[in-house]
Amino acid sequence: MATDKVYWKGFDELANTEVSQRLAQNEFAGEIPVEQFLGDEKLMGSAQTSRRDFLKYLGFSTAAATLAACEAPIVESIPYVVKPDSLTPGMPTYYATAYADGQDFASVLVKTREGRPIKIEPGDAGRFNRGTNGRAQASVLSLYDSARLRQPVKAGAETNWETIQADLQQAVASSVAEGKQFVLITGSVFSPSFKSVISALRQNYNNFVHVEVDAVSSSEVLDVWEALTGVRALPSYALSNADLVVSFGEDFLSGSTAQQLSKAFADRRKPGKGMLRHIQVESNMSLSGANADKRIKIKPSQVGSALAYVYNQVSGNNVTVGNLSEDVKGLLKGISAELSSAKGRSIVMVGGNSGANAHLCAAINSALGNIGSTLRPDLPVFICSGNDNVMANAMADMAEGSVGALVLVGVNPAYNRVGFAEALGKVAYSLSLCDRLDETASLTSAAAPIPHYLEAWADFTPTISELALAQPTIRPLFNSKSALEVLGALTGNTQSSKDWIKGTVAGFGLSWSQTLHDGGASLSNNVSISLSETSAKALAGAGEAASVAAEVVEGDFELALYQKTVGAGSQSNNPWLHELPDPITRAAWDNYITISAKDALAIGIVNETQSNGALNGSLVTLKAGNLILQNVPALIQPGQAQGTIGLAVGYGRSASGRVSDGLGVNAYALNLHQGFGAIRIEVEAGEHEFASTQLGNTMMGRKIVNEVTLADFMTDPSGASWNEKPTYHTLDGIKTADESNLWTNHDHESMHMWNMSIDLNSCTGCGACVIACHMENNVPVVGKAEIRNFRDMHWLRIDRYYSTDMTEARAEEENIGAIGKYAAMEVPGESPEVVFQPVMCQHCNHAPCETVCPVGATVHSREGLNHMAYNRCIGTRYCANNCPYKVRRFNWFNYQKNERFTDVNPAQDDYGRMVLNPDVTVRSRGVMEKCTMCIQRIQYGKLEAKKAGQPVADGAFTTACAQACDTGAITFGDVNTSGSAVQVAKNDARSYHLLEEVGTQPSVFYQTKVRNRA
Amino acid sequence: MNRSKPPFRMRFFATKLFRVLTIALMVSALTNPLQADVDAELGKKLFKANCASCHKLDKKLVGPALAGVTDRHSEAWLLSWVRNNAALRASGDAEANAIFEEYGGSVMAAFENLSDDDIKSILAYTQTPPAAPASGNLDVVPAPAAEVKTDNTTLLVILGTFLVLFIFLLLRIRNTLKEVNGDVGTTVVQDANALTRWLMGNKRFMTGFTVVVTVAFLYQLFWYLMGIGVEQNYQPVQPIAFSHKIHAGDNQVDCNYCHSSARSSKTSGIPSTNVCMNCHMYIDGSEIVNEAGQLKYAGEGSPEIAKIYAAIGWDADNRTYIEDYEQMPVKWIRLHNLPDLAYFNHAQHVTAGQVQCQTCHGPVEEMDVMYQYSELTMGWCINCHRETEVKTANGYYAESEEGTQTINERLAEKFHDDKITVEKIGGLECGKCHY
Repeated sequence: MATDKVYWKGFDELANTEVSQRLAQNEFAGEIPVEQFLGDEKLMGSAQTSRRDFLKYLGFSTAAATLAACEAPIVESIPYVVKPDSLTPGMPTYYATAYADGQDFASVLVKTREGRPIKIEPGDAGRFNRGTNGRAQASVLSLYDSARLRQPVKAGAETNWETIQADLQQAVASSVAEGKQFVLITGSVFSPSFKSVISALRQNYNNFVHVEVDAVSSSEVLDVWEALTGVRALPSYALSNADLVVSFGEDFLSGSTAQQLSKAFADRRKPGKGMLRHIQVESNMSLSGANADKRIKIKPSQVGSALAYVYNQVSGNNVTVGNLSEDVKGLLKGISAELSSAKGRSIVMVGGNSGANAHLCAAINSALGNIGSTLRPDLPVFICSGNDNVMANAMADMAEGSVGALVLVGVNPAYNRVGFAEALGKVAYSLSLCDRLDETASLTSAAAPIPHYLEAWADFTPTISELALAQPTIRPLFNSKSALEVLGALTGNTQSSKDWIKGTVAGFGLSWSQTLHDGGASLSNNVSISLSETSAKALAGAGEAASVAAEVVEGDFELALYQKTVGAGSQSNNPWLHELPDPITRAAWDNYITISAKDALAIGIVNETQSNGALNGSLVTLKAGNLILQNVPALIQPGQAQGTIGLAVGYGRSASGRVSDGLGVNAYALNLHQGFGAIRIEVEAGEHEFASTQLGNTMMGRKIVNEVTLADFMTDPSGASWNEKPTYHTLDGIKTADESNLWTNHDHESMHMWNMSIDLNSCTGCGACVIACHMENNVPVVGKAEIRNFRDMHWLRIDRYYSTDMTEARAEEENIGAIGKYAAMEVPGESPEVVFQPVMCQHCNHAPCETVCPVGATVHSREGLNHMAYNRCIGTRYCANNCPYKVRRFNWFNYQKNERFTDVNPAQDDYGRMVLNPDVTVRSRGVMEKCTMCIQRIQYGKLEAKKAGQPVADGAFTTACAQACDTGAITFGDVNTSGSAVQVAKNDARSYHLLEEVGTQPSVFYQTKVRNRA
Repeated sequence: MNRSKPPFRMRFFATKLFRVLTIALMVSALTNPLQADVDAELGKKLFKANCASCHKLDKKLVGPALAGVTDRHSEAWLLSWVRNNAALRASGDAEANAIFEEYGGSVMAAFENLSDDDIKSILAYTQTPPAAPASGNLDVVPAPAAEVKTDNTTLLVILGTFLVLFIFLLLRIRNTLKEVNGDVGTTVVQDANALTRWLMGNKRFMTGFTVVVTVAFLYQLFWYLMGIGVEQNYQPVQPIAFSHKIHAGDNQVDCNYCHSSARSSKTSGIPSTNVCMNCHMYIDGSEIVNEAGQLKYAGEGSPEIAKIYAAIGWDADNRTYIEDYEQMPVKWIRLHNLPDLAYFNHAQHVTAGQVQCQTCHGPVEEMDVMYQYSELTMGWCINCHRETEVKTANGYYAESEEGTQTINERLAEKFHDDKITVEKIGGLECGKCHY
């Protein structure tokens, strides 16, 4: 029967409005981004694709793929002509070497496969600063940076080394003839071979000047220690002897020797009697501050006065103390009392580059008798030795035109020193030996490539008692030449850098092959530093230093510079470092000022969460004297001291490479050589889009990170009162989550059962594990826009939670209702405590993801792992939705091919692809991925055991994250092996599962964090 | 130990030598009664046993070419040189020292065991290199008669033709009979049309026909689709006509000698050219004899082996590596192409699982040209994992840390007396091969 009924979708259509007419013409209200999903935009051209075209492409590509699959692909298998003995195809080869990039130093092992370095691992036990921070981990990708300089360049055109060498010789000769200076600018030099070249240059050329300059200077601090000890080096910290650490703005957990300090710090913070207590006094929320038991907010300009005040308190002296509020004085009085009761077992550190502050700090340590026990000027560290005075003189000479020849080795002062670029213009001949045509090298007369540390021979004496060797792990990718050889040739010494190093090692009386194998050797050198004399000098000069410190003018706003994981700038073009969200702010791919909520409100800075969950923030202009920095994003940072802002260096590059150029602002342009200074802030129009990976800032009263105070931990070691297991009321009575179980259990007894323990007490949140995971598992880099969409691909993330001022108890006391309570709980406190929690796939034994997969792509193994078969996955994403831990990552794009990721994804160029781990599949578009607990390492480790005919030994292999962790926070192993570290951890009273009430029975568990509150 | 008794090895050698000599004497007595003690045939055997690793007749190897050596040196000198050249050199013999220097000081072993007649026999052999043996020579291994495959296609075609002719003939006969009867004859085409019309009209036939065709089509389609990517029997032409049969079969070279990383690594490894040179420095193929019993390459080296020399830069005439040679690797065509998503490890199978190479690669020792023997499909892997027993004697299963049960004990608790297959220890789990 026919009907004349008319259906309409809404009243609009009934009225047939303009809008509904327009909608009726377009089937879809918004445009369907077909090209975006088809991936290869080049093929699609600029033409719009209709749906029919789309179907045509689909049909054609299906048919083409089917036909193509019928043909046997011709794959060539090309063996070596002469295979190197040390290499077995398919097996890794390890080399001990030393990582030094002008900022950090680390003893590392380099894993190579078929001659390609693919992973950086911690060096031999016993080597100085063995271990890998984020930068050391990521450094292997910098080797394969296609922005590296490939050929020597002269006046913008490619040339050869002979020309470079001849020009240099000529320029140096004419500078001698003209009576002008020959200046060599390097980073801190602690290589004995390089030192011998420099002294040879000094002998050969009486117009020779050597300048050492660090991107982030410690020059004034070094001046102080040189005056105190006679040696221009920083003292080392012996945290193992300390019960109390008081740090005034020194971020020792991410500094240049952080690997060994973090380890010592974590070792001394094992919960129990004598647990190290850590107090941080600072303006920015640093990594060290986030890990402190007590954190005091203070302006950078007040640090000197605060130190003077503490000095007076602990020594009984009466030096000048600048302006300090009574509140701060009260807090400092408490610290002083604690310090006084831990004489000889405490340590006071100071950050920044203020000589007065450094001297006062030394004086406090002297007064406390710490020098020689916790602070060791007699074990100096030579990693940092830049001298700003010498640099200033050299720049003045350059500006005057009295420098005839200038050679720069691995430094970029045009980027990080205000005024250098102008001075450089007055130099007759300048040569930059550099890794890329950076800001400086693009201004010099000539530039020539030096090898990456993984391609070169080098030696280092980071301390008086350590010789570290660096050896090549790959043939140089480009036409590079070691600076040692270039400068050596000027002195008539044409030996290769290997022979230089060999000679140096022989000079120390060491065996070449043993030293090379171990990556270095201990030296029996001593430096003659009198501890008592140092102490006496420190105490004597305290009054003078205090009066200098008291004169520091307080600004309305003060800026303190800091470093993110990207560092000072030498590895700015490394996408892994940018992709890692900042441990504190959780924002990636940016630098920004951090400002307190109160200040932000006062000057009109807004941070707003958008409807898609992403964060937008105001832009500001910073003015320091007549220096101006525009378009600086502002991020509200809980725990930031009022009247202060923080800004990270290492961004705002203009000639570093496609990854980093134009990213962020250059904080060096404000010329704050002490690392802090007064600043003016003006809010600009416009918004900045942040790429933050975490918005929920607090735990909202839930037990996600379990915490206990040391006192409670000591009174109840069983954990019954502070580590309660969730229970359910059932028909059969009260049951734990494990007991009230719907599922049948897997067999986990007959083979292995891989478990992982994460000690939240040891985790400092540094993020080295995330980068290690990234490189081990070929995790794609997705870039800022995708991270802003919360499509980051990290298999392992480190959640950061702030404490809030609102608690259940307070809500009850003040009679605040549930809505008000939870609303208040969302807001982090003004001086919050911070916790970090690494979260990866928990490998649940009753995994919610497994039950919802329609194709059985994710299944359980009898070794306690949750397997993920990429080729079965059809991309329904049910698993990710059903995962209570939100650890599954979906490949929204083919990141290795799609053009929108060309700038950021290293796998898109031939060099960057070399870093991929050949044992791990590179995932394609449309599949889910997640942490596998490094199954490739497990399988490899088991096979090695089988090949040797032995049972798997505890600790024989471990995951990439556990290996990268300097503090040993991550323990991995077979829980079926009795006495294994992970079994011990599992039975510990502190152990708990994340969201245990869900009943997923994870293979990963956490150890309760213990706070040493006084 | 009885001092007078020579050590075992010596005795063994002496016995062997005695036997050889006896046979040689008998043979020589029959063939050449005039030269009872010196015999070129015996010399050849002795040459092969003692000298051939360092000397050739016509070419320099480690030592000089021996053809015509008797013209260059006196017999007495040669005897003392062969017996103990070191002693001869020590005695200050200028000739001996000159040769020693010429060949870079490579020391020739002393042959105290050879009698004067033996040496003379060898010398006789070097003097008169036997012409290519006419027939029944020792060098030619008769090729096994190629198995003649009974191919009956031709027979079927002939039969079919006969059948068609027969039908045609019958139709003609029927037609003729019709015409004889006075009926109107039909042509063959008309008959065929009539048959088709009748069949088309027959519902039963049409139903049956459709079912058969559809099933056959689907069957073919299924197997066609299942076969996509399966390259069983893939046998590409390789850049060097390398024969596994000659190497692994005839000469019994162990698989692991060339594919050495199969024991330790995930890849079995294509041998690098320097591994080939371990043997081919001495074997250039010039002695290969063809079926007619003649030297195949007329005394020149094999052009296939020459490709190895070209790759690595070996000067066969001067027996040296060419300096600053631009080496070019051999670009073999890969046979076994597993997709990237599957992880396979040779060491796991060869060393831990003690699987024979032939289990997956087939009778390689019989393959002149290598081909892919197995399907290399996932089903094929899984089947083997279901059936193969784990080698539980390995310490990985049989031993354990103090205080922990061994894996064997734990497996026994769970599976009792069942055989422990790869499947039972998790060998079918996705993540074992796909990560």
